[in-house]
Amino acid sequence: MKILKKILVLLPEQIAYAHCDIPCGIYDPHMAQVAAHTVIRMTQLLTDLKSDDQKKMTHDISRMTHVKEEHAGIIEEELETLRNDYFKEEHYAQYSNLGDLFTKTLKSVSKARQNIDMVSAEEVLSGVLQIAEIFYKTKGVEPVRVKSVFPTEREIVTYK
Amino acid sequence: MLLLARFKIIGHSMEPQIEDGQSVLVSSISYLFKTPKINDIVAFKDIRNTQVLIKRITKIKNGKYFVLGDNKRDSLDSRKLGFISKDKIIGEVILNL
Repeated sequence: MKILKKILVLLPEQIAYAHCDIPCGIYDPHMAQVAAHTVIRMTQLLTDLKSDDQKKMTHDISRMTHVKEEHAGIIEEELETLRNDYFKEEHYAQYSNLGDLFTKTLKSVSKARQNIDMVSAEEVLSGVLQIAEIFYKTKGVEPVRVKSVFPTEREIVTYK
Repeated sequence: MLLLARFKIIGHSMEPQIEDGQSVLVSSISYLFKTPKINDIVAFKDIRNTQVLIKRITKIKNGKYFVLGDNKRDSLDSRKLGFISKDKIIGEVILNL
């Protein structure tokens, strides 16, 4: 094998990249929170939807389901970015529930996508808020929960 | 593309399997007789065909390949690049030199 390797290194060398992600350093849980509120709102609207006009019902269900789907996708993407790119091993060591929190929240996102399911939508928001709190703590600022100005009338996490 | 080619790796996303600066042997013969499978480390062209990238296949769906760096916390891969098609794959990494 050693002789073979000595022969093979005589081949002309080309370059291949095992790219690292671009380290822009700009991360924030805000978009995931807004998207989680949107999933709750769409679930509320779909649950409460009533009309005698079948065509309008179909139209409204399509639009609301589309928005719910789209924002569930945003949550997944934002959480994956935080999980894979922002949080490092020391964060997972310091906050031992963080890994599980991501897993459970992402599972709830799938359920909230697949169904008109307020319990799952609430679980998504709860998980996203907890992740946001941990995020701000790792940034050295004190997280605080405040009532949102959204029609969901639920909380968001910001910092002092 | 030669049937066998030597590539020097730049970047950390395949560590610890392949270190930054290490050379690997890529075979384009492999996939003449078989299709890429999960866990293969492949060299492939990026979407603009300007660079060759090295990643590991982790999922196959509808004949397209989802590739990830082994060092997932620091890798630009299918999580952002999306699935890649077979025509982008140059070959399989068969040997660390």
